[in-house]
Amino acid sequence: MLNTSYVGRSLPTTEPVAVTAESVTRFAEALGLADTGLVPPTYLISLTLPAADRLIDDPDFGLDWSRVLHREQRFAYHRELRAGAEVTCAVTVESIKTVAGSDLLSLRTEVRDAEGLAAEVWTTLFVAGDAQ
Amino acid sequence: MQPELEAGAVVFSTSYPVARADLQRYADASGDHNPIHLDEAAAKAAGLPDVIAHGMYTMGLVSRAILEWLAAAGVDARMTEFSARFAKPVVVPAGGTAVEIEGKVRRVEGDTVEIAVTATSAGERVLAPARATLVVR
Repeated sequence: MLNTSYVGRSLPTTEPVAVTAESVTRFAEALGLADTGLVPPTYLISLTLPAADRLIDDPDFGLDWSRVLHREQRFAYHRELRAGAEVTCAVTVESIKTVAGSDLLSLRTEVRDAEGLAAEVWTTLFVAGDAQ
Repeated sequence: MQPELEAGAVVFSTSYPVARADLQRYADASGDHNPIHLDEAAAKAAGLPDVIAHGMYTMGLVSRAILEWLAAAGVDARMTEFSARFAKPVVVPAGGTAVEIEGKVRRVEGDTVEIAVTATSAGERVLAPARATLVVR
């Protein structure tokens, strides 16, 4: 079971991370996308999930990664991001819902570049309870 | 605005093969090395029938279908929203599998087009339809 007192809590904003041309090309190629220099629609997950490491690794939070399945994903793009951008990520624990002994954990991450909020990324994880 | 962009119109229908080597490449590109996507024994130990694709790999294929459709149709559009719910896993046996993807126009309002996308693998709907909002330039 997750520690529900974390709901509403935000992790410290990450240091700026470079969206390198190489990482964009590799991500596009792995999905068979044409490499246009634009950041692929789902690329940001490769930044937002590591941004939550501090939460995932926090023993007081109680998240067992081996019991996690990805349930839902949503992106809101406020601006187009191109390779070469530098962004920070700020993760907030938006909600924890317990259903039949398992938890649904929703995280919201604000992705900002030099001009401000570039994208918001919502990730909902299903965390199987002991009975599963 | 393209004439075929009317609510209810099926605008693309495609199929992509998925092999375990694709999941390895996606794991390396995304940094998600969860062994349930790479190793049969780890997947089975987690109670899964076999190796499963990353949900984000499937969502990535949906983005590919949308972008390939836009390019083929000559529509210049910017994606503003993209969402999916992973209803069932895409099971990837040693011999590989395929994901069939179909996109339908859900709503058109001015320059904004909302697309609903279904994805099917081995006869199962793997997404509770994905949605993408596009703003045509």
